Amino acid sequence: MSLLLTLFSVLSIALGAFFFLVGTLGLIRLPDLFSRLHALTKTDNLGLGLVILGLLPWLPDPFTALKLVLIWLLVLLAGATGSHLIAKRALRGDGEDLTP
Amino acid sequence: MAIARRLLVFFGVWIILAGWDPVSWVIGLPAVLFASWVYGRLAEDSAAPGFRRMFAFLPFFLRESFRGGADVARRILRPRMRIKPGFQTYRMRLSQPAARVLFLDCISLLPGSLSADRHQDVIHVHLLDASLDVTPELADLERRVAAIFGERLEPHAYV
Repeated sequence: MSLLLTLFSVLSIALGAFFFLVGTLGLIRLPDLFSRLHALTKTDNLGLGLVILGLLPWLPDPFTALKLVLIWLLVLLAGATGSHLIAKRALRGDGEDLTP
Repeated sequence: MAIARRLLVFFGVWIILAGWDPVSWVIGLPAVLFASWVYGRLAEDSAAPGFRRMFAFLPFFLRESFRGGADVARRILRPRMRIKPGFQTYRMRLSQPAARVLFLDCISLLPGSLSADRHQDVIHVHLLDASLDVTPELADLERRVAAIFGERLEPHAYV
């Protein structure tokens, strides 16, 4: 049982780290600002979610679990809202230093 | 009543994040009060989202998050990236401010779409593959978000 749980955690955390890596790769490979925002928001969401999922079985109490899930939600909220604001500024051309 | 509920939620959030240490309230108390005040200002007359309805939204949200991440990862990892970026517009029917924010944020989590700008009711959505029409998906998401806030959507004026 414990072995199964360990295996699940390792897989989940490794997959999460993989998604973070792919997001970074996307940041380099994708051609423009908007496409890069896609890579950042979505892979961060999934990557962090999977890392936290892998940690959940090993926490000392449900309170800490709640804390990690809450952190995930806050990161989601900040990521999605932030990317919307960046895209909006870029579209309207009223940001600073956006010349390619 | 709404204020009491908001305060309670933000107090709960702070306790979860910072723990019971009384010293943390030096930062926590002003933060909680400020958050409650700002929430009231920004959400205006939005209905409070129901907890049970948020739970009903959760399976859909998790599934789409996974699809969104996997989709963008697949596109990036192809030797020749399979993307055709472009914009589409969508006229949103949600009227409550809080529901609108949730809708805009969730668009960015759906596979291939990113909410880029908003003028009144019209959202500009950036797509990694703009050759497909995403209107049905956005309408579905909008319906689900409306359900969380108990909002009734007018049918689209045009089809």
